[in-house]
Amino acid sequence: MTRVASRLSLVALALPVACATLGGEGVGDRDLPTTGVGPFRKLETGEVPGSAPFVLDDKLAEYRDPSAVVAPDGSVILHAVARDKAGADVIVRTRALDAVSFHGTREDSGHTPRVVLAPALPWEGPALSGPSAVLRGGETWLYYAGTGGIGLARSRDGFTFTREPAPVLAAAVPPSAWETTAPRAPSVIVLPGGELRMFYAAGTSIGEARSADGVRFERVGAAPVLAPRPSDVPLQKGEKPAFDRGAVADPFASVRITPAGRLHVRVLYTGYAAAAGASDSAIGFAARYGESGPLESNPLAVYAVGKGERGPAFVEIGRRSFVYVEQDVVTLGTDPKRRAIAAGVAPVAEVLESPRGFPAEP
Amino acid sequence: MRRAPALALASALALASGVASANPLDTYGFGSRETAMGGAVSASVRGTHASYYNPAGLADTTGFELALGYFRAAHYLSTNGQDNQVDPVRGMNGGLVLPGHVFQVPIAFGIGVHLPDDRISRVRALRQEQPRWEMYDNRNQRLYFATNLALRPFKWLAVGGGLSFMSSTRGRLDITGSANIFRPSQSEVRHEVDADLTAVRYPQAGVKVDLSDSVRAAMVYRGEFQLGLDLTARLRGDISRLTTALYELETHSVNNFLPRQIVLGGSWDIRPWWTANLDLTWIEWSAYVAPVASLNVNLDIPPPQGGWPATITPPETPAPIRLQPLRLSNRIVPRLGTEVLAVQRPRLDVAVRGGYEWAKSPIERQTEGVTYLDLDRHTISAGVGLAARSLVAEIPGEIRVDVHGQLSVMPEETTLKSRPSDFIGDYRASGHIWNLGTTVTFTLDGASRKEAP
Repeated sequence: MTRVASRLSLVALALPVACATLGGEGVGDRDLPTTGVGPFRKLETGEVPGSAPFVLDDKLAEYRDPSAVVAPDGSVILHAVARDKAGADVIVRTRALDAVSFHGTREDSGHTPRVVLAPALPWEGPALSGPSAVLRGGETWLYYAGTGGIGLARSRDGFTFTREPAPVLAAAVPPSAWETTAPRAPSVIVLPGGELRMFYAAGTSIGEARSADGVRFERVGAAPVLAPRPSDVPLQKGEKPAFDRGAVADPFASVRITPAGRLHVRVLYTGYAAAAGASDSAIGFAARYGESGPLESNPLAVYAVGKGERGPAFVEIGRRSFVYVEQDVVTLGTDPKRRAIAAGVAPVAEVLESPRGFPAEP
Repeated sequence: MRRAPALALASALALASGVASANPLDTYGFGSRETAMGGAVSASVRGTHASYYNPAGLADTTGFELALGYFRAAHYLSTNGQDNQVDPVRGMNGGLVLPGHVFQVPIAFGIGVHLPDDRISRVRALRQEQPRWEMYDNRNQRLYFATNLALRPFKWLAVGGGLSFMSSTRGRLDITGSANIFRPSQSEVRHEVDADLTAVRYPQAGVKVDLSDSVRAAMVYRGEFQLGLDLTARLRGDISRLTTALYELETHSVNNFLPRQIVLGGSWDIRPWWTANLDLTWIEWSAYVAPVASLNVNLDIPPPQGGWPATITPPETPAPIRLQPLRLSNRIVPRLGTEVLAVQRPRLDVAVRGGYEWAKSPIERQTEGVTYLDLDRHTISAGVGLAARSLVAEIPGEIRVDVHGQLSVMPEETTLKSRPSDFIGDYRASGHIWNLGTTVTFTLDGASRKEAP
């Protein structure tokens, strides 16, 4: 009995030692719930065809102000502001099959994004900005900003546009207390009932307008739906003041139904620590439940890299969300500082496959 | 017989002096017989698995006992219809019991072990905002190791107690030297790493009272423990002779928290061949410490003479984390179990078992900020056990083979977030867990089985 017991004790001791191996990290964090709007991380080398995190970059065109939409074939159509050879700001269209390899970026030699809209009407002034595309009934509805407000151009093929002769949303007359400038940077969504809502920047805030036909918009309420965050909030030791205490601008809106069945209007925006247009900026997230009401913003930025990032747009493809922003390109030597369009992805743990290559057409 | 306890004690000391251990047994059970009975065994447990359920039960072991088993608990936990791929918990479990007498008082020494088969312990520090299945993702990826001593001073009374062992982790990283950003190969840095696993012990004790020949009562106490993770890092040096850099980081988190528990249990032999058990476990979840790291960072990189080049953006000191409290409520978990001796022969017994457990989630509904996923859990279990006696002449005693199957069902719940700008948003959560396993037990020189009438 003693011998047997001793041997069995040794076996008991040896088994744990023999079986103690090192395992992998494990998972447990796949497909976790998210609203799809970040936080985002910037794309890294190997995830984009060129210099990360940029997906649309050209020294001369200096792409800015992106707007993204997913086409029926799953590709991402990007509209952006570009400088043409004459030095005027125009709107171009490009496309990527994998959300990162956009036709006509610097690495796609021999191609350039197609110019789809250039200033032509008196109210537009010398430059166009703030494109926002909506795919409706087989047409591309492209909202954009000019000097006198926000206009609309429509196209069946996505390249040849017919524009409305007058702004669909002009400067408020008389100017309201907060809307001290002409509306700019539109972003239009279609609610489940078919009504269109436009979020736009004016002054230092973001307003909202509604339309039944997408051509004539009327303002919703007298107050902005999102204003700069109050800067008198007490801070913890080491805590930084709000990134969006100076101004909010460049809304990009998207609507979804939550898993609980609620209508969720999501808006990415540029938050400025000082005045709009300053370099100290980051991308924020504001939202509301329901069709109407003010937006409530998250105090944390969803994309902040310290490169003057602004003008966000985002798309959701499967479990991933891609954000496109305009930001500074780090230049060396005598190259002048310029802007280009960078991309980020959420969830941050996502690692992208190698780029699939450029599409033949924009 | 003297060498066996010595070996066992040596193994206990060897394992206690550095490995991390913890307690997945609260969730998945320990031993196939006990798991099949829903864990409602504090008043009827005997043998090896008493090390976890009630150390007093060790005293009912009449011969040297060695148990070895394996189980696998597969999680199917999903949010919004998507499986979150929470890792399974699997591994060997078992232990041994060495009974004897001191001054004619029956005593027994027992060891209980659960050994995961792909890691001893996993440490994870997730961002506060990241959703996680708090009760199932990381807490159960642990080794459990306990040593206990029990005695039966009176025929109607058995008492037992012991320690479970854990290990806290403390680490320090020092990097000093010179970094050349223009010629990285010429950088000279010196690393110093100091890691320390400090043993943490928490007590457990139990008492078992035979109220009559057919009714038993038990009370068990399990202490609280916190598995800490402390890390400090210090980077100091110069950058290409342009400037100096100092980065100091201190982080502390509780990576695993086991709440204090008190179990009240009863066991009733309704018939000589039929036993019914009830356990009520009070769990002090309100003391729970969320596994979120507190972080102190000091970053000092003075600008070089003439200021920073336009192409360089110096990093900034991260803002401190504003920790959000995690509120949990104390819970009483009822467990029911039954065992029927379906076959009784001189050399063979066959037992059929069943059990049920209802564990209401202690985590309050989180409508804002953090998202610790958890759901109420209904667990049904069943199993069969075979006990064969004197099969081999060289090994007198009993060999038992027990198998169990357990299904936990977590009905779907929908959580509405109060803030529209929450990064997680509304979600639906549901899940189920399958737990299958087997245990083989050898008992020498006596039978620890319930005696047939």
